[in-house]
Amino acid sequence: MGDTIQLLSSGLALGAVYALIALGFVVIYRASQVFNFAQGEFLMVGAFLTVSLASTGMPWALAVLGAMVGTGMLAAVVERVVLRPMVGRPVFATIILTIFVGMILRSIVMIVWGTSSRGMPTPWDTTATIELFGARVLVNSIGAVGAGGIALAAFFLILRYTRIGVAMRATSSDQEASLALGIPVGRIFGATWFLAGMYAALGGVFLGMFPRSVDPNLGFVALRAFPAVIVGGLDSPLGVVIAGVLLGLLEVLAQSHINPELGSFGQNFHAVFPYIVMILVLVIRPRGLMGSREVKRV
Amino acid sequence: MPTRALVTRYEQDLALFPDFWQRLGLALGIAFLLAFPLTANAYWLNIGTLTLVTVVGSISLMILTGFTGQISLGHAAFLALGAYTAAILGSRWGLPFWLLLPAGGLVAAAVGLMVGPFALRLEGLYLAIVTLGLLFLVNHVLLSFPEVTRGVSGISVPMHAWFADAGADVSFRKPLVVGRYTLAFEQKIFLLYAVVVAVVVWLANNLRRSNAGRAMMAVRDHDMAASVMGVNVSATKIIAFGVSSFFAGVAGAMYAFQQQYITVDPPFNLTMSVQYIAMIVLGGVGTLTGAVIGALAFTVLSPIAEMVGHQIPWVQNLTSAQQSTLLFSLLVIGFLLYEPMGLYGIWLRVKRYFMAWPFRY
Repeated sequence: MGDTIQLLSSGLALGAVYALIALGFVVIYRASQVFNFAQGEFLMVGAFLTVSLASTGMPWALAVLGAMVGTGMLAAVVERVVLRPMVGRPVFATIILTIFVGMILRSIVMIVWGTSSRGMPTPWDTTATIELFGARVLVNSIGAVGAGGIALAAFFLILRYTRIGVAMRATSSDQEASLALGIPVGRIFGATWFLAGMYAALGGVFLGMFPRSVDPNLGFVALRAFPAVIVGGLDSPLGVVIAGVLLGLLEVLAQSHINPELGSFGQNFHAVFPYIVMILVLVIRPRGLMGSREVKRV
Repeated sequence: MPTRALVTRYEQDLALFPDFWQRLGLALGIAFLLAFPLTANAYWLNIGTLTLVTVVGSISLMILTGFTGQISLGHAAFLALGAYTAAILGSRWGLPFWLLLPAGGLVAAAVGLMVGPFALRLEGLYLAIVTLGLLFLVNHVLLSFPEVTRGVSGISVPMHAWFADAGADVSFRKPLVVGRYTLAFEQKIFLLYAVVVAVVVWLANNLRRSNAGRAMMAVRDHDMAASVMGVNVSATKIIAFGVSSFFAGVAGAMYAFQQQYITVDPPFNLTMSVQYIAMIVLGGVGTLTGAVIGALAFTVLSPIAEMVGHQIPWVQNLTSAQQSTLLFSLLVIGFLLYEPMGLYGIWLRVKRYFMAWPFRY
């Protein structure tokens, strides 16, 4: 029982991070039909910014907030400079563009912060655990789940009740109509990228915590969040959050229960397992759990 | 303004080298390919051979992405399959290289045909992610059967000129002595690969201008319109996957023979897939010339990026591979924003300027 709870807690923590990353993808995709392959690099920038800000003696919460705002601004700048001119160009071109934006960000991170790995500062002891239902659960995990939950709740509240949230929903449903209604679509794009950058940074903070560390390979973890996006449905925030949490749990459970069963094939099997799930979902239900069916018109 | 002389007969339309300038270019190209291995030093000869391998790889991605419009982030997986087929069959059964080059292609094509059906249900973005998953899966499988693939430690690739169980030493790596002249292995493999590249370019060019190739471009430009006009979209996509992964497998086998010792990751990772995408964007998406120019630019610019990168104060902290990645990322973004047709687009503009000279049309 204790083992299972421990696994569930780390699975939930991983799932919360996946959900944050996946939400970033979906926000951008809904607003501008761009799938941002650089999301992982935003996450990495956020994690490194937090480390740097916290090392200046800033309180932890303020450092995280500063990193979120900084990454959000970076994302908005990327949108304005590189992606705005691509409006109306084929999907193919924007996908390739974001991949290479990610490459450049990775190089910049390596130039600024070097390639050595470092620990993510935490307000509590990095390896602290607390007793929960007879299991020792890392405080980091609880922090990830808590912060993830708050961030997701904030997202849905913003989307539903604020002016900018309504404008975002309008833009994602019809750009031309919203432009005609006086919504500044360009600025809404910027705002969505800002939001996505903020969520990426928050995900990066909790991803970089113990047992992992902050290094330039952190961005590749976002590749593992892709299945969550696809399984959840590309245009459904709720769907990807559910799928993210489920896949995080599945990955941790697969690591402890399926890997040992498979012998040498099982080594690192948990890393490809989400992709296998994703391919199965795509074959059976291409739009994902909650995505809307794509209608094609000539 | 037509980009080539007006054609009035089918023979002219079918001719591969219709006018004087193209025949001149062909002659110069052949002369260069023959002279290069005899004059270049070991460093540039190595880069030259790698360029030929890369040309085959980028042509194969061009067929899938450039002609058919299907984005693949898993191109490295097909190269890995070709490379490992060549390595395993060559070391286990001593098969000769001229059998292993197509064999690597066939194995990759078999996997490509299995992925093809996914492409029928998935559009650009989804396909990119599924092919990325395919890359992870292939690498995982290659690493998890160490008794066959030797796992993370890598596998050496013998290159037999004839069936090895005949007893005699039939390695292709021995220098070839003709009278007073000696051809070293590096020179032999360059000439061999030049022939392979010529064959692949010829095949791909015929594909491009035949029924199948035109169907691919119709699917790329508008799949629904294409299907209304009678193009079998499903068959076209699957054919594109098969042909593309076949050539990618051949490129992988060529790479394995050239490297002599291969491991799974690096080189067969996401970076490789992305590099191939960079090449076709750089060269010009949708054109065969673009695939060749892109691959040439990529392999020639990499050493130059290294040289320049070491002079720039901030950039010199990066490894040389990272420096060239940075340069190519900037180039690709620049091209996507300002010259979507790539280097081929620039070349077309230069050519048109001179064809219309002294008038500015």
